Amino acid sequence: MIEVSELQVRLQEKTLLSDISFSLDAGHYLVVVGPNGAGKSSLLKAMMGIIDKDGGEILFHDQPLSAYSQRELARLVSYVPQSSGRELPFAVEDFLKMSRYAHHSALSEWQPDDQAAVEDALRITNTSQFRQRQMTTLSGGESQRVMIAAALAQQTPIMLLDEPTSYLDPHHQVEVHRVIARLNEQLGITVIEVSHDINHAGQKGRQVLALADGQAAWQGPGEIFLEKGRLHRLYQQDFVFVTHPISGRTIALADPL
Amino acid sequence: MTESAKLTLLSLATLSILLLAPFAGLGDIADAAIRQHILYDIRLPRTLFAFVAGAGLALCGMVFQAMFHNPLATPFTLGVASGASFGAALTVFLGLNVSLLGFDAVTLGAFIGALAAISFVYGISRLHYSFSIETLLLTGVATSFFFSSLILFTQYLSNINDSFRILRWLMGGLSISGYQSLLQLLPIVAFSAGIMIWLGRELNLLMAGDEIAISRGVAVKRVRYLLFLTTSLCVGAIVALCGPIGFVGMMVPHICRLIIGTDHRWLIPATLIFGGGFLILCDTLARLVIAPAELPVGIITTLLGGPFFLWLLVRSRRSA
Repeated sequence: MIEVSELQVRLQEKTLLSDISFSLDAGHYLVVVGPNGAGKSSLLKAMMGIIDKDGGEILFHDQPLSAYSQRELARLVSYVPQSSGRELPFAVEDFLKMSRYAHHSALSEWQPDDQAAVEDALRITNTSQFRQRQMTTLSGGESQRVMIAAALAQQTPIMLLDEPTSYLDPHHQVEVHRVIARLNEQLGITVIEVSHDINHAGQKGRQVLALADGQAAWQGPGEIFLEKGRLHRLYQQDFVFVTHPISGRTIALADPL
Repeated sequence: MTESAKLTLLSLATLSILLLAPFAGLGDIADAAIRQHILYDIRLPRTLFAFVAGAGLALCGMVFQAMFHNPLATPFTLGVASGASFGAALTVFLGLNVSLLGFDAVTLGAFIGALAAISFVYGISRLHYSFSIETLLLTGVATSFFFSSLILFTQYLSNINDSFRILRWLMGGLSISGYQSLLQLLPIVAFSAGIMIWLGRELNLLMAGDEIAISRGVAVKRVRYLLFLTTSLCVGAIVALCGPIGFVGMMVPHICRLIIGTDHRWLIPATLIFGGGFLILCDTLARLVIAPAELPVGIITTLLGGPFFLWLLVRSRRSA
């Protein structure tokens, strides 16, 4: 359903991405990892049409990105940017309503199914209680959930998320990841998430794409991602591995030595 | 209070300004015929013209503030009005006398100058990957200076009569008489307002930033070019007819946002109405302050606008 082949993105002289190829089936969950500056955000932005590609192809449903108008693309793919959204001058519910743009023409009226999409998004992300609040008054964890809710109200089969948990405390990280897992497992949304959390990536049922220096360093299933040599090559850092006492999963810890 | 109640109140206030302004300073004229003449042939067209020009300036300011997510970014601060002024001054200086699609040479010159300025300012601010509002505003300041010196240059080369005319016109004045200017400006401002109303949802999303707007489905580049063209046309026409009247486009939309909120479905009509009323008020003040002589209205709006700009600057620094 998603097919990226030999993707190239340059910014003036600098190559941000080169020769990125991967494919993802409907309903799958891809985590994009890699060191800072590896091009993870650029990949999502190129897929959303925010930045232009300089070569290669991005296909959704076998159609190239260029075959979609921006409005058509927004009915297929939604995007949660890295920004927290706490600078936005809107009330939460109004911000979610704006997500229905792609489902409207300039003259069409607000419909019951638009309201239903907004209500569903508020409910699934557990943000109904903030609907009247201004975005500027939300905490980091609250606003991150609202940003996901806003993308969800767009009702797209594909969702791109750029580090949705980076600035959150452990409790809210778990909370936000639970929401994303629910979207993927219960609603069947295809998820591509950029993350620095390698243990989050290295789980059964996830696909992993590791980027380094704008190139694909490794891709494969999550359960075999956490491997000492691979992580060292990727992050220039030693890791030790422990077994989680309850779930039994392998956990990688950065070794300070 | 609901948005529609606020809008109704704003409309009523503007309507009363519109109805009262023509009578201000008319009390001491005894001759009924002269009174009639002043009222219908001078005051009424001037008041209506002030409304249309004020509405146009305020709407263009609103669009820029939304597009650049900053109340300090307006056609005036970004050098667009200076570009338009230079375009207009140049056509006067060169004595060009062409017309296209019913627009006269001065309007066309102002439109091209406005478009050149915004293309330049926007192009410069996009040279860096990380778009910053500081770069944009400083580029606007530099562009203003640049066009101001070009205007001085044309003025220097002009004869004394043209030079004085350019100077008075640069102060921004509404001393028109008859309905001709009004009929020239009205269709352009109405057309621009129509485009902005048509793009209300896009403007709402642009306020959330380009990335969010694009991901929600807005063809941001196309919308932005359309808005650049529209505001250049509108600012160009206003500048051509009454000179650069500063800060209306900064103060009015910002005050309207404080009153009625950021949703453009309400903000556009509020800005249009209040912008019109505000310029009538300033023009009435300009007529009365040193009566029987009058000030160029641009002096009044800039005297109000300067402190307002500083207030916005201090406030945004404090909250940042």
